[in-house]
Amino acid sequence: MLMFRFFFRKLNYLTGLLKTKKHPKHENSGKTEGTDDLKFHRSLNRNLALIKSTLGESSDLILREFSFGSEPRINAVLIFIDGLVDKTLINESILQPLLYDTRLVGVDKEFSISGMKAITRRMLAAGEVELTDKPDEAIAHILAGDSLLMADTNSQALIINSRGWKTRSIEDPETESVVRGPREGFTETLLTNTAMMRRKLKEPGLRIESFIIGKRTRTDVALVYLQEIVKPGLVEEIRQRLRRIDTDAILESGYIEEYIEDHPFSPFATIANSEKPDAVAAKILEGRAAILIDGTPFVLTVPMLFIESFQSAEDYYSRPYYASLVRILRFLSFFISIMAPAVYVALTTFHQELLPTPLLITMAAAHEGVPFPSVVEATGMIIIFEILREAGIRLPRPVGQAISIVGALVIGEAAVSAGLVGAPMVIVVALMAISSFVIPAQIDAGTIMRLVLTVLAGFLGALGISIGLLFFLIHLCSLSSFGYPYLSPLAPFSPSGLKDVFVRVPFWAMLKRPYGLSRYNGLRQKPGLMPSKPSNKK
Amino acid sequence: MKKDDMTGISYPKLFCFLILIFILITLPGCWNRRELDTLAIVLGAAIDKLPGEEKVRITAQIINPSAMQSSQAGAMSADTEEFVNFSETGTTVFEVARRITTFSSRKLYWPHNQVLIFSEDLCKHGIDNWIDYFIRDHETRLRVRVLVSEGEAKNILEEKVTLEKVPAREIGEIVDGLAVTSIAPQTTLRDFLCRMLEDTGAPVAPLISLKEKEDGKEAKISGTAVFKKTKLVGTLDPFESRGFLFVTGKVQSGIILVKCPDSEDLASLEIINAGSKIIPAINDGKLSLTIKITEEGNLGCQMCGSDLTKPQTWQFLETEQNKAIMEEAMASVKKAQALRADIFSFGEAFHRKYPLRWNELKENWDEHFANLEVNIEVESHLRRSGQITQPPHHE
Repeated sequence: MLMFRFFFRKLNYLTGLLKTKKHPKHENSGKTEGTDDLKFHRSLNRNLALIKSTLGESSDLILREFSFGSEPRINAVLIFIDGLVDKTLINESILQPLLYDTRLVGVDKEFSISGMKAITRRMLAAGEVELTDKPDEAIAHILAGDSLLMADTNSQALIINSRGWKTRSIEDPETESVVRGPREGFTETLLTNTAMMRRKLKEPGLRIESFIIGKRTRTDVALVYLQEIVKPGLVEEIRQRLRRIDTDAILESGYIEEYIEDHPFSPFATIANSEKPDAVAAKILEGRAAILIDGTPFVLTVPMLFIESFQSAEDYYSRPYYASLVRILRFLSFFISIMAPAVYVALTTFHQELLPTPLLITMAAAHEGVPFPSVVEATGMIIIFEILREAGIRLPRPVGQAISIVGALVIGEAAVSAGLVGAPMVIVVALMAISSFVIPAQIDAGTIMRLVLTVLAGFLGALGISIGLLFFLIHLCSLSSFGYPYLSPLAPFSPSGLKDVFVRVPFWAMLKRPYGLSRYNGLRQKPGLMPSKPSNKK
Repeated sequence: MKKDDMTGISYPKLFCFLILIFILITLPGCWNRRELDTLAIVLGAAIDKLPGEEKVRITAQIINPSAMQSSQAGAMSADTEEFVNFSETGTTVFEVARRITTFSSRKLYWPHNQVLIFSEDLCKHGIDNWIDYFIRDHETRLRVRVLVSEGEAKNILEEKVTLEKVPAREIGEIVDGLAVTSIAPQTTLRDFLCRMLEDTGAPVAPLISLKEKEDGKEAKISGTAVFKKTKLVGTLDPFESRGFLFVTGKVQSGIILVKCPDSEDLASLEIINAGSKIIPAINDGKLSLTIKITEEGNLGCQMCGSDLTKPQTWQFLETEQNKAIMEEAMASVKKAQALRADIFSFGEAFHRKYPLRWNELKENWDEHFANLEVNIEVESHLRRSGQITQPPHHE
């Protein structure tokens, strides 16, 4: 009793500490308020000074000062950031018309009357321009790769879209390779990605809403969905959760994921990600929404259901029989990957009577002389495997091969012949490892489940495995993703949803959109599309 | 305390809960955990009666895993035996089994026991005290095969075998292989127990004995041991044993030898299907019983040159087959009546058909059984002649 009170006191103290540290002052709050209503001055020099003071003496900040028009020439400056802009566009479509052509056109008179608009209308050969008088907005655009044109005696600045930095070309996505199906993957550039979505879904109802998140990174985030299919409540919920994020940096979709998920403490991901435009398009067509983030090829889709982990884009491109077989194999692999070491430990330390006699004899022979208890052997091997996997991923590719040689030879071969590890254990761990790669979406949760189950099996045998599995099952049942039950259509059960769970029925048989995610859950095709051979009647 | 909005659990409580779970898991401390290398896996046990007051010797055959290791440790395993026999004497089975740990580093592990061999001598004194442990203990299995040995049971487990690594496994396989000859019943401890507990209980078990051969000895099934309740009263030879199996409908396969029509040469017929029906009757207080045996066979091999597939010779073979089965069945009934051991469960058949009269019949069942009038009807057919019809040396 005394001990518990002691614990309580310690814990109360700890939570007290947490509470006080909970809300440190947001360093950025209030900083921009002062400059909000600030406007550009008519004097170019003052404006220039303002911008210089804000952006400082950065080497990549280019201030190109020039004058245009016939007498009197008007002083102007073009501001952009080197490296973020398309140089040809700057030279040929902005500077050239202003420096040479203005003399022929005689734009100065019009400039004195209608200001910057005159330049926009008559001089600029650039597609996207915008007028502003707010320094804040102007600077944000400069930093995003636009160029800013300011002229003396005019308090308006012209933002010219001249973005053009080096980007990676569209490549085969490395995390989700397919044998059959599109090979293009998303890139780091948001604009390319939204364009790819447009190319997949040419429906006018495709909506792309943009957000800027992150005080310092000012990351562009786009929410993509189909107006006619998605449930309106879902979009509103996503908008609210995205707007709630008030942080300094969003560098990858993982940042967003952690700010908007339903269950921040669960080991299971409740937000899916994909690198493939076709997969994301398919999810949008089922009534989900996608969140595209600038700077990463990984696109988030919500809500996520548990069974999505077992679906692959290729299931829908290969024939239904094979796709269904593979689907079932994936479920099997998932269970092997989380349970194989645990079952092995339980069988060899508690339930030897469950093994067939010849198998027991072989296993006893293999375990002879192994100095560790099975559970230590198993957890050790799992951890070694995770280390090898991690090392294989992080190392530069040429060195990576060394890892596999060391892993295979030292762990696999030498450890067994030295008698440190039993050969069956190596087989079990290898089987588990290979199986775990079949379901990439659940690798992280699977690793945790596997360790927990193995330790429980080491303490309590099959009873421990049952306790662990029940715990995970209950946890999975309690999960939701943006309000949708994580385990649906299995729990809550929906018979029509089963058409795409353990088997994948042909497309003409999947009349409705599955899972009740979409607005009407309506027909997605005309009934009776099952093809047949031509009838003999003439 | 800060409450979590979603679950209403306060963090200190949650932490305490987790600590409690951790304690709950670790304090029982892997109860009953046994690593594979702490087990002496028993594959066979032999129980012998020793002269003197109620003394018994138990021989447990356990595997020696280090000798089983393949390839890598080849050199080491060449001169070590794959099995070890531990023997110990005492007055009760459990005590003896436990005392084996005084000279064995590992504790006996019974679930994989394949065979339980009782010596003839012990069975004659009554087997019940010696199977008690094997029924009562949670580690032993009722599926273990029960055998009775002619002579000392320990010797059976000591004879080296060729195909399997461990004699007990070989004996287990031999018992399973009885299906193709049907010269002795396959008896598990459960079957044995069930028969023993019946009113007319007369359990049976295969009889195993050591036969001399050129180099040493080998264990061989030599018939059936017949018990009356708990005591061994006699044996059936292979011929009678198969008759017994025909009567009880447990013949799975086997070879029947019959004479060819025109010569003294023999033809062998393979039993492919057999069944029986026991119909008891009481007429004017006199008990009688009809056994209907049905059998189907194939011509397996012939030693004579004539074409046996002609209708009349085929018919002849069928009649011969009928006769042979009849003889076997009759011999077993006669032998059982002589031993006054109702191994066929005829009593149970009467019990089922005349439940009201059973109580009075039960009193004197041995007498009734010995004087029971038994009619045997055999209906047997020959179906196929194999892949050829005429023998290869047919003129």
